[in-house]
Amino acid sequence: MRDVYVAGIGITSFTRLEYPLSEIAAYPVMMAIKDCGLREIDHLYVANMGSGRVNHQTGLASAVVDTLSLTPSGAELIENGPASGGSAVKQGYMAIASGLCDVVAVSGAERMREVNNLEATDLVATLTHPIAEYIYGVTLPSLAGMFTRLYMEKYGVTERHLAMVAVKNQRHALRNEFAHIQQEITVEGILDSPEAMTNNPYVADPLRFFDCCPVSDGGAAVILATRDVAESTGRPLVRLAGVGQASDTHCVHEREDPTDLLAVRRSAARALGMAELAPSDVDVAELHDAFTILEIVESEEAGFFPKGEGHLALERGDTTLGGTLPINVSGGLKGRGHPVGATGVAQVHEIVHQLRGEAEDRQVEGARVGFTCNFGGFGNNVVCMAFVRE
Amino acid sequence: MRREIYAYKCRKCGQLHYPYRMVCKGCRNNDHNEFDPEPLPRTGTLVTYTDLYALPAVFEVPKLCLGIVELPNGLRVTGQLRVEEPRVGMKVRGEVEVVRRETYDEYYGMVFYEG
Repeated sequence: MRDVYVAGIGITSFTRLEYPLSEIAAYPVMMAIKDCGLREIDHLYVANMGSGRVNHQTGLASAVVDTLSLTPSGAELIENGPASGGSAVKQGYMAIASGLCDVVAVSGAERMREVNNLEATDLVATLTHPIAEYIYGVTLPSLAGMFTRLYMEKYGVTERHLAMVAVKNQRHALRNEFAHIQQEITVEGILDSPEAMTNNPYVADPLRFFDCCPVSDGGAAVILATRDVAESTGRPLVRLAGVGQASDTHCVHEREDPTDLLAVRRSAARALGMAELAPSDVDVAELHDAFTILEIVESEEAGFFPKGEGHLALERGDTTLGGTLPINVSGGLKGRGHPVGATGVAQVHEIVHQLRGEAEDRQVEGARVGFTCNFGGFGNNVVCMAFVRE
Repeated sequence: MRREIYAYKCRKCGQLHYPYRMVCKGCRNNDHNEFDPEPLPRTGTLVTYTDLYALPAVFEVPKLCLGIVELPNGLRVTGQLRVEEPRVGMKVRGEVEVVRRETYDEYYGMVFYEG
């Protein structure tokens, strides 16, 4: 297999965007091409979940490859729920590692604000089991709420810990001009004050409004290339050193221990193993905090902290910018936003930005190894990746 | 007619599954239709629950209580909960009722009550 490098990166603002979906997917590719100067793209992968249902557009990759005037290059749409972005980057990795392509563009994009929040939540809820979960009104927040209750009972995580994740990631997002949420919050304001029940009501108890990521529009792109091509651009060399993916039962109730996220544990171990790295080697990580609880649990399942102690690391400030392992310095899904198909690619964008040392006032000093975890379904399909600055 | 929701028992190794799956998780027997359906038991223990306030549009109620229940045969089931004050570990009994109404369709599923 050939080594694969991230040569270029690009991103849009994550917010409500009044542009066609194909443009939201194409624009970050233009930025990524500008970033590395590579104009010859062998293949394009587009990650998206809802185009057919929400935007009434199918065959999105064909539209994007043409609007970018990249024809006759090949193009495909990759749909793997909220892990579509990670899956698309993985496809790009495979195309280059195998020798089939030398330069691949991967774009992730979503335009979910075209519909109201209920419809957006319903789109994501269609990921659940059609007859054993969906018909009951099960949504992703409800699965996360049930999971959180178990985790609190077993490991002593409290609503205060969850609020601390929200406060941290929204604070990080203030340093990211592309982030959706530009609002500083405090634990007092969302938990302790008399107004807390008004400004932070329960969504799926014990999860509250500020425990859930926003519904966002946005796009992110990376350009992957062989070592020779990446070197020719003169940009810092960031190698995609490990890719891991794992699946789990479709129904959450079928999992042996419902407080385990086995697909995260397995995909993280594969990604780090392939890169010949230990969890302790990681300097900066982007985890899939669609709900605050997930950042805590993923940080344990990835091996950064012992099981049941992620919330203690959070309390110590280990995962804050300036701590021993800053997590979601971009703001994460919570602060940067979660345009479903774009998220996995945006995580890679942030890690490359950090490993290049170009992240300015949110730079993790001396970061050389980065990690991403892109979580699909309620943990039934997870893609993790490890990156190394050379 | 009493409505039932079924678990599926592998004819080779006896493992129970809910919901239906094509291949047994226990022995991975790859022959088609090698399962015997058996009705889910109607009593169990509440494993976890949530009060959901952000509801899918078809539910015209202020909140919906959803839970996971462990049955005496070891299977777990996701269902709706109609209990005043749910507690993890409480005994519940299930009924098969309409759990979702759409314009032209009604969907039946497990609804759990106290006791």
